[in-house]
Amino acid sequence: MSYSRFHAMRLLGDRLTDELVILSLGGAVDEWYNAAPHMRDASLFQQQLGCVTPEAFGLAVGLPHRRIVSLDTDGGLLFNLGILATLGNERPHNLLVVVWDNEQYQSIGGPRTHTAAGRVDLAAIARGAGVANAFTAETLEEFDQHCAAGLAATEPYLVVAKTDGILEPGIRRKHSDGREDKYIFVRHVEASEGITIMGPSEHN
Amino acid sequence: MRTDAVEAVLRGLKRAGVSVATYLPDSLLKELYPALDADADIRTIPVTNEGEGAAIAGGVFLSGKRAVLVMENSGLRAATEHLARMGLGAGIPVVMIMSYRGEMGENNWWAIPHGITMEPLLQALRTPYTIVRTVEEIETAIVRAYDTAYASYYHAAIVLGGDLVR
Repeated sequence: MSYSRFHAMRLLGDRLTDELVILSLGGAVDEWYNAAPHMRDASLFQQQLGCVTPEAFGLAVGLPHRRIVSLDTDGGLLFNLGILATLGNERPHNLLVVVWDNEQYQSIGGPRTHTAAGRVDLAAIARGAGVANAFTAETLEEFDQHCAAGLAATEPYLVVAKTDGILEPGIRRKHSDGREDKYIFVRHVEASEGITIMGPSEHN
Repeated sequence: MRTDAVEAVLRGLKRAGVSVATYLPDSLLKELYPALDADADIRTIPVTNEGEGAAIAGGVFLSGKRAVLVMENSGLRAATEHLARMGLGAGIPVVMIMSYRGEMGENNWWAIPHGITMEPLLQALRTPYTIVRTVEEIETAIVRAYDTAYASYYHAAIVLGGDLVR
């Protein structure tokens, strides 16, 4: 039984305040932009198969006191399953991974991913890689419960959201590119952490 | 890899403020990996492929900490997709230290392609790099790579070759 990714995003967004989010890809970017407008500056919008959860893990390593959320996808995670083994070994205490699994490469029109045939179980792969808290949420209620648990967890937590592949109609598209998104995100991290990441140039 | 070269790499990384190292181990730098693991100032993260290591290093950059990706130069091929997406697409820098497999004198047939592909790939990725072959150059070369990466917000690379790794 699948459900709306946009509705799932709203449930997750309602639980977020000072977390940092890294996400991908395609339609999920525009949906997150609208589903959690209070998290726009705290979210790094990426267009990167295979980079999202590793980047989120790197951010979690660098900011161990901060909760980090990776919003990955079935296609994105399948591109680099090795990160699951790295999470299993490194055991970050502040990382929640959400995998939007709509069983398709939606941004290019919907060709099937390997999860579409019903045999590939991303949560089971994660558990086999050492991420013990890895689950599939078949309903919105289950998804919401896993978000609550994952945001409070002290070891890596992964939830696969089986969504329906229907883009939320009528939402406003995000207009910025990857560079502008990076600057917005970095300035938010700087302000909220009281640190400098991209500072002034030298006088010499 | 020579012991004095390992020590020089560690000095360079510390002078550059690096606190996280991701790596996929290789044979030419094999003495470097346990030295990184043993260093109390550096957290090491072994990875399953160099693209993953690059992406983790990019995430560390976003936290305000400094990371390095250490690998054989063949890893550049595995990491090219991730480096292009982060660097060319978003301006998220990754500083790399790689061994020079396939350099003149290479005696393994399987390593010849590593030498053939390394510099063209670095150039295709518009990544400035320094090939270092003496211990005396290592520390400063590493510091300068970080200076460039944090001025350009783009990747930079150090290649360790010659007698340093043979």
